[in-house]
Amino acid sequence: MLIEQSAYANRWRTACPGAKALFALGGFIAVFSAGTTVAALAVAGVLLVLTVVGAGVPLSRYVRVALPAVFFLSISCLSLAVSVTPDSRGGGIGIAWAANGLEVVAHVAARSLGALAALLFLVLTTPLIDLMAVLRRLKVPEVLLELMVLCYRMLFVFSEALHDTLTAQSARMGYSSPRRALRSLGDLAANLAVQVWQRAQALHRAALARNNDGPLRFLAPVYAHARRDTALALASGVAVVILARVLSA
Amino acid sequence: MIQLELDQVSFRYEDGSIGLDACSLAIERGSRNVLIGVNGSGKTTLFQHANGLLRPQSGQVRYDGVAVEYNRSGLRELRTRVGMVFQNPDRQLFSASVQEDVSFGPLNLGLDEPTVRQRVRESLAAVGMADVADKAVHNLSFGQKKRVCIAGVLAMRPELLVLDEPMAGLDYVAKDELMAVLGDLHAKGITLLLATHDIDFAYRWADRIHLMSDGRCSASVEADRLDEHAGELERIGLPLPGIIELHRRLARLGLPVGPRAPRAHGELLERLEGTPANDKGINMTFNSSRDD
Repeated sequence: MLIEQSAYANRWRTACPGAKALFALGGFIAVFSAGTTVAALAVAGVLLVLTVVGAGVPLSRYVRVALPAVFFLSISCLSLAVSVTPDSRGGGIGIAWAANGLEVVAHVAARSLGALAALLFLVLTTPLIDLMAVLRRLKVPEVLLELMVLCYRMLFVFSEALHDTLTAQSARMGYSSPRRALRSLGDLAANLAVQVWQRAQALHRAALARNNDGPLRFLAPVYAHARRDTALALASGVAVVILARVLSA
Repeated sequence: MIQLELDQVSFRYEDGSIGLDACSLAIERGSRNVLIGVNGSGKTTLFQHANGLLRPQSGQVRYDGVAVEYNRSGLRELRTRVGMVFQNPDRQLFSASVQEDVSFGPLNLGLDEPTVRQRVRESLAAVGMADVADKAVHNLSFGQKKRVCIAGVLAMRPELLVLDEPMAGLDYVAKDELMAVLGDLHAKGITLLLATHDIDFAYRWADRIHLMSDGRCSASVEADRLDEHAGELERIGLPLPGIIELHRRLARLGLPVGPRAPRAHGELLERLEGTPANDKGINMTFNSSRDD
């Protein structure tokens, strides 16, 4: 929901999504071509500053969105840095720092942070509906797109249904003891399953009523400055790649 | 001229419950129609026949005097002319973006992109939602979603618009806005048929009121003459509109409220304000709060 909010309420909301995706791609290329930790960190920094200062995504929100990913990253870095090997002296198991580990770990971590920053730049500035329009233009198979559209739309419908049912159950003491909670949870799942089925039928009927005969067709939005945005994105994408190469040298 | 006609249509659901039972109904072109009845009286089933979503098991549905053909092209024709707005917008809107959803119908008609774009713009403007075209559907209020649903159907340029309980769940302001939208559509010559169980609204708005009960259309009356049909209303579990009863009571008290009941209470107030109430020897003031 945090991502959703900032995707709709940022300064670059109306910029051409294709351009934003292009720049994010530039960011990815830059972090992968960054030969040193410093270079990768610099790219990550540039992307972060652009998202926060340029697009006006509040830093606190940015941090909250990034936190889970950073947490997973740190755990996996820990497992990279430390190796568990059979002890050479006895039959036991020893824990040792990986050989020249820290350097490698720092480099991988910096690159991952950079990739994360590139991804966050894209998703925090671009609503999913725009991203799907980009994918459609990139000729991603229709079936996948239809699934995405319906899943995304249903996500909100069902989170509402889930919330309503949960509230109704809680109001009647449905979660007052672990035993009852388990039972209520079961009822909730059963109830949602029925709702899914009914909802699917209703949507099918609504589609028929609007003369649908199979594929779901939607109109792609147009952007006022698509060409300018794309040129700008291309230039800045190339710039970060150059920055990464220069710092790696 | 009769636009849509159901002739002795019967439909029974798979579980044995009766949807429609030899139901007959005729809709005049360009008129405002209300289908009124208690829950479970068959209103939604009837609507789904109007749009060809359900096929009569016996009887006939006719559009412009011609029996509907239930093949691909026949249904396509019918569904283009008869637009259907469902009760729950969350069960009708399936694209995440407003503009995309409205484009769904016209794209299904196989129109080219510029035409579709223009129709999307026009129909969003017609329901006063032009400024939310780029928004996500889940960020809209219930009333806004409802209007987007209507835009989605308008974009197919229907001649007859069928709305299932359009006022349900709307707040006062949203109801007013929807009324204005429906007024505009009627002015453009679109025939309107909507289901409700609000008799006061039906009386205020409709040209013709069709009474439904137990899968039948028990009577179709001119809204103007609804006061003569109290018995029929009572039989299907509905009261006379409050304004008719109020008018009768006031007339009995000797107030000059005219021979026929007005349709809206504003009209009644106007008639009353035309003459001071005291003339009739009744001690009554209608703006007492201001006198205090």
